[in-house]
Amino acid sequence: MTIPAQVGGRVRSWMNRPEMRGVFWIWAAMTAVLVVFSLYVPARLMGPPASPTMHAVENTMTVFTVAASPVAAAVWSVALYSLLAWRHRGSGQPETDGPPIRGNTPVTALWLVLSSLLCVFLLIWGLAAMQSVTAAAAGRVPLQVNVVGQQWLWSFSYPGQGDIETDQLYLPIDQPVVFHVTSKDVVHSFWVVQMGIKIDANPGETTVTNVTPNKLGTFVVRCAELCGLLHADMEAAVHVVSADDFAAWARGRRSPPVESSPPK
Amino acid sequence: MSEAMVEFAAAPPSTGGGGLLRRLNLLTAVAGGVLFAAIGWYISHRIMQLGDFGSDRVVTITLICWALGFMVGIGAFAGPLRWLLGRDQEHEDEMFLAGKDQGIGRYFRFTTDHKVVGIQYLVVTMVLFAVGGTLAMTIRTNLITPNSGFLGPQTYNAVVGIHGLVMIIATIVMVTGPFGNFIMPIMIGARDMAFPRLNALSLWLLVAAVPILLSAAFLGGIPTGWTGYAPLADQAPPGMDAYTMTIIVFAMSSAIAGVNITTTALTMRARGMTWSRTPIFVYGVVASVGLAIPAFPMFMSAEVLLGMDRSFGAQFYVAAGGGSPWLYTNLFWLMGHPEVYVIVLPAVIALMEITPVFTRKPLFGFNVAVLSIVGIVGLSVMVWAHHMFTTGWAPDLNGSFMLTTELISIPTGLLFLVIIGTIWRGRVWTTLPMMAVYAMLWNFIIGGVTGIYLSDVPADYALHGSMFVTAHFHYTLMGAGLTGAIGALFYWFPKMTGRMINKRAGLVSFWLVQIGFNVTFMGMFAVGLAGQPRRVVHYDHLFAVGNFVSTMGAYCIGVGMLILLYAVVSSWRHGAVAPANPWGAKTLEWAVPNPIPLENFEVLPVVISDPYGYGEGDPVLPPTQRELVPVGAPRDPVAEDDTETSQS
Amino acid sequence: MTAVIPAGPARHVEDLDAVGRRWRLGVVLFIFADAAFVASLVFTYFYLRGLNTDSGWFPDGAASTPIWIGWTIAAGTVLSAAAYRWGHSGIRAGKEERLVLGAGLAVLVVLVVVVGQLIQLATFPFGVADSSYGSTTYVLGAANMFHLLITLFVGLGIVNRGRLHKFSSTNNWQVQIIGLWWTWVAAAAVLSAFTTSFVASPNLLVGNG
Repeated sequence: MTIPAQVGGRVRSWMNRPEMRGVFWIWAAMTAVLVVFSLYVPARLMGPPASPTMHAVENTMTVFTVAASPVAAAVWSVALYSLLAWRHRGSGQPETDGPPIRGNTPVTALWLVLSSLLCVFLLIWGLAAMQSVTAAAAGRVPLQVNVVGQQWLWSFSYPGQGDIETDQLYLPIDQPVVFHVTSKDVVHSFWVVQMGIKIDANPGETTVTNVTPNKLGTFVVRCAELCGLLHADMEAAVHVVSADDFAAWARGRRSPPVESSPPK
Repeated sequence: MSEAMVEFAAAPPSTGGGGLLRRLNLLTAVAGGVLFAAIGWYISHRIMQLGDFGSDRVVTITLICWALGFMVGIGAFAGPLRWLLGRDQEHEDEMFLAGKDQGIGRYFRFTTDHKVVGIQYLVVTMVLFAVGGTLAMTIRTNLITPNSGFLGPQTYNAVVGIHGLVMIIATIVMVTGPFGNFIMPIMIGARDMAFPRLNALSLWLLVAAVPILLSAAFLGGIPTGWTGYAPLADQAPPGMDAYTMTIIVFAMSSAIAGVNITTTALTMRARGMTWSRTPIFVYGVVASVGLAIPAFPMFMSAEVLLGMDRSFGAQFYVAAGGGSPWLYTNLFWLMGHPEVYVIVLPAVIALMEITPVFTRKPLFGFNVAVLSIVGIVGLSVMVWAHHMFTTGWAPDLNGSFMLTTELISIPTGLLFLVIIGTIWRGRVWTTLPMMAVYAMLWNFIIGGVTGIYLSDVPADYALHGSMFVTAHFHYTLMGAGLTGAIGALFYWFPKMTGRMINKRAGLVSFWLVQIGFNVTFMGMFAVGLAGQPRRVVHYDHLFAVGNFVSTMGAYCIGVGMLILLYAVVSSWRHGAVAPANPWGAKTLEWAVPNPIPLENFEVLPVVISDPYGYGEGDPVLPPTQRELVPVGAPRDPVAEDDTETSQS
Repeated sequence: MTAVIPAGPARHVEDLDAVGRRWRLGVVLFIFADAAFVASLVFTYFYLRGLNTDSGWFPDGAASTPIWIGWTIAAGTVLSAAAYRWGHSGIRAGKEERLVLGAGLAVLVVLVVVVGQLIQLATFPFGVADSSYGSTTYVLGAANMFHLLITLFVGLGIVNRGRLHKFSSTNNWQVQIIGLWWTWVAAAAVLSAFTTSFVASPNLLVGNG
């Protein structure tokens, strides 16, 4: 007999054992349920994405949950089957001991190989996603927005647009934006929730993040690092508008109508 | 406990030995602490005019003086002074210090017996959990509706910080404190710890730290979360000084305990207990406290620098003076990530020790378990910056920290394999400890998988600082860690107290806590994914449902924990008297009688096989040791009398 | 069952060598813990120096402490450790007087170094609040001071106990483990002097305030 045939025979005889069949069917059912859960729940909870970055993050959540499903199911199916089939149903200590199995090298090796492969997959996936986020910003000249956090509000300025200052973020759709983020006092964290980007605002340093909004609408910036008394209120609106609307808004802010300028 | 009291009344302490320590106890310690604190306050505030009534310098000096006075009052400095003067302790002094013939009084002294220290740790841990749990209920009550107004933002932030720090300290000591001290030395066949006086020192330092921590509540709280990020911590009220002092004292306590427990496990194992015959729990405890040895001094240095920033206007974390908040985050997480394993490893491995007993099978893959512990310990010191992906301190390094973090999933996965391999085809005896194993298998998988999302850099950009993170680490620290500690308590309760735990109350509490736990933190995962930040006093209506569900789950946990407390206290006082080995386990702690004699073993045992030989029959004695008497055989009464006389 | 109880008499007195080995491991682990503390202070120094946030590490016109003071303190500590070692080699050969002399000399040198360290801390030409360079240099000095005070205590203990004939050529593990600590203190003082020899930040372009 050849070696593959030997291995095949062993696997077949293994699969014919009642506990293997039981565990297998529980595992298959659990995996199916978990995959369905993975496909529908995590990404939906995160809401509709407003940028390719957020879209990638939601994909990652779905893919990782799918990938984790068979592993979680493997552990849980053995646990569940052991309770159904091997539970000792008396009040005292079991009269006999279980089989003295001290280990199983093929199973351990298989487990190790599978978990390593899974780990390598996660890593490659993550690196590729990081790469794509940086690459997306590389093509076009981005719109620069300077973000300043302070207790407890955000302020934004547009150095390329005549230093407009504003407390609500206006962004043109499908235009790469680069945020230069800093803080006046303590550490804040600049989080555009629906766009899936976040970077800390550190006093004395400037940090950078970028995104390309691809959905019209109003979104929200929240502070994601506890920054004192009114941390919960440190929010700002993000308006993603068409390129024309953005240009009009910027023009309006650069030369404010006389009647709305503050009295001397 | 009641028996011990009778014993105390019947047998007053003998007069020999002890010296000054005979007069010192918890009361003199508190008196000393209060006296020193008052003197420190008077000198710093009135005489040296260092600042106002509650200024940072005055508060810091007062708290340092409290800790010093408390340690003086408990007698911690008596030993070193006697050493300096060359008046070494006599055998009688050592016996007094070990608590010989002192009944319940020994629990309130600088007692060196590892079993006393273990019980003291257990009680301190339970007190900390009670405080932290009450604060958790307060937090969840405030979050029951989007704008409940139950707590103002100032109170809320203060409560969140104190809850965090209390729980971190409680979870760090919850396994290595009670079980590492009480059980581990007996498990390896030792009469006590390697350094019994350091053992008492680490416990009393922890006790000294608790009032400092609680004083934060009256000094404006810890409004920074448990992480105490600078420079927010630089502008916080004097409660922050209590925070830094708590951590400094606690770090000393943990480092001392770490040195002591590691040395004990490395040098005091019984004859014949080779590394392959050492119970896996010993590995878990050593991994935990071994990690604590380098980790906590770093934590301490982060807080010393913070204290200097606050009290002397130093510029470590203040950007305007050339400091950097990134320095704090680096120092903090260099400790902070190993600390996660300091908490989780011993708890999960306690459950790994329990599994063979209740499946009546050998541990599956002992060497695999050991290797995975080593792997986790080794990797855990290389992953700290995954807490800092969004800080911007070194964006180019994010990829490498993602790599190290994801690598940890491989040894962690092997821990699961060991446990399910042990369960495989076992005679599953579903006692309370075994139920904790199953609960951990459920919770820790969820905690682990959600950890993988957070290790992915782009996903972390979206999720960092949200409720998702809060739910994730509660699944690991509480779902795996605390569940493991409760399982360990159920398992070793008969040995530690001599009584069986009330099974029905235990069952009710188990189900309430586990169901409540999953409801609470599933709700929190949902609102975290939807975008709710952590540590917010009120939130958008979008998150209302998830938070309401969370709060209901939390109340369920609260009720369950109260029932657990009832089960522990009532069983301790008048539970059924436990036999010496109620579970039929094979580790050495079950071979000593109940109640355990002062030095555990009259004659030190010789180990001839590992403790997992279920289903393998009794090992045959090697021919050279045929004259040895197996454990469990009736002991020779004459020999026992001899040891009694030689001891007294 | 996994263990057997030997049918011999109970022995509650432990072998001196075993106790010595145990304490040696304990002290090595303590040194490891303390090394983590010192390492994080050194990290603090070099990290803040490298970042030079807002050019605030060592502002223009600031004064630095002369490097030779730190190296002199380190040299004194090394000298005391050497004297202690000399005393220890004495007791190993059974010469009690040499232990008392060597350890006594070492304690005296440490006392001088403590005074020197105190003077340095009191006369730094900058304040702890002046710059992050100032803060970090202070804390390194204070850590060294803390080391020296502990060394003074244990050194006095060894001198006193040597005087009381507590040690012999076979029973000197206490002398040995304190020698380990002493050597580490000297190494830490050298490390501290080395660290503070680098003053100006290599990163002069930073500062985005």
